[in-house]
Amino acid sequence: MLETIAVLAVFFILLMLGFIFYTKVIKSGVEEEKEENIQLSAIKIAQQAAALPELQCSQNNVIKDNCVDRLKLEVADNIMQSPENEIFYYDKFSFSKITVEEIYPNTKEWPLYDRPLDDYTHTLVTHIPISIFNPENDENAFGLMEVESYLK
Amino acid sequence: MKKAQTEIIGLAIIVILVILGMTFVIKFLMDKPPVETKKEFTQAELASNMLDAFLETTARENNCKFTMSQLLQNCGQGGGITCNNKDSCEYARDAANEIFEEKTLGKVWNIPYEFKVFYSNDENDNLFQPIGKACAGNKKSKSYIIPTTKGPLTVKLDICS
Repeated sequence: MLETIAVLAVFFILLMLGFIFYTKVIKSGVEEEKEENIQLSAIKIAQQAAALPELQCSQNNVIKDNCVDRLKLEVADNIMQSPENEIFYYDKFSFSKITVEEIYPNTKEWPLYDRPLDDYTHTLVTHIPISIFNPENDENAFGLMEVESYLK
Repeated sequence: MKKAQTEIIGLAIIVILVILGMTFVIKFLMDKPPVETKKEFTQAELASNMLDAFLETTARENNCKFTMSQLLQNCGQGGGITCNNKDSCEYARDAANEIFEEKTLGKVWNIPYEFKVFYSNDENDNLFQPIGKACAGNKKSKSYIIPTTKGPLTVKLDICS
């Protein structure tokens, strides 16, 4: 009788350990996948922001990479934050904040989009160095596009 | 010792071994490196975008509207351009220091990096004192070639991993 109880006890201990082990492995995999998806989504938003046709520089219809047109920048916030375009930009940028900042030769900031998540726990910030081209005098400034994704 | 007791001791040893094995596996699983997809992407893009934007940047002074690329080219050819009482080499280095060290990579983001400009045939033949520190381990690099009358110049930015 005692032997049977001992064997059963050992069996259940092994079963329990196996279950704990299995749960840990599954949980670790799910969390890793979730983190990767969050990061990929932040990258996607940053790439979409950097390639916005509303801001891109172009000369003779040729788009210049990594460049933002200053004249477009001056009016972009009106377009991007107007209520009629809210859904269009929400589909692109979800819950995030996008600003462009000139850091050389002068300093200036252009807030473009801001839709915070009410109960966010942390944010992922991506900085994209860009040229800010002024077509009026053909000069370039050094700037940063800051894309901040709100996360729960 | 009865036969049954011996069997139970054997079983206990097996259980202890299994527990040790599982502890080891769980520890191994928990110690996996964190997901760094965004960091890898950012580092890969950073060197390229930084250098690209820097070389196109126009100097601050009104009587000196040259791009950093033009100033470095002039510096590599022996100088001649003066902006704000500084020669082209000094002016370009100061601008690079302000952008990379003071306002972005160095003091603000604390990302180790090295920016240097040298004649392409000799990496040690620097036009001016490099900015930042040489990377000890892995790095993401981007370089551009600027043609000069004294031979091609390489402008290189290393972002240390």
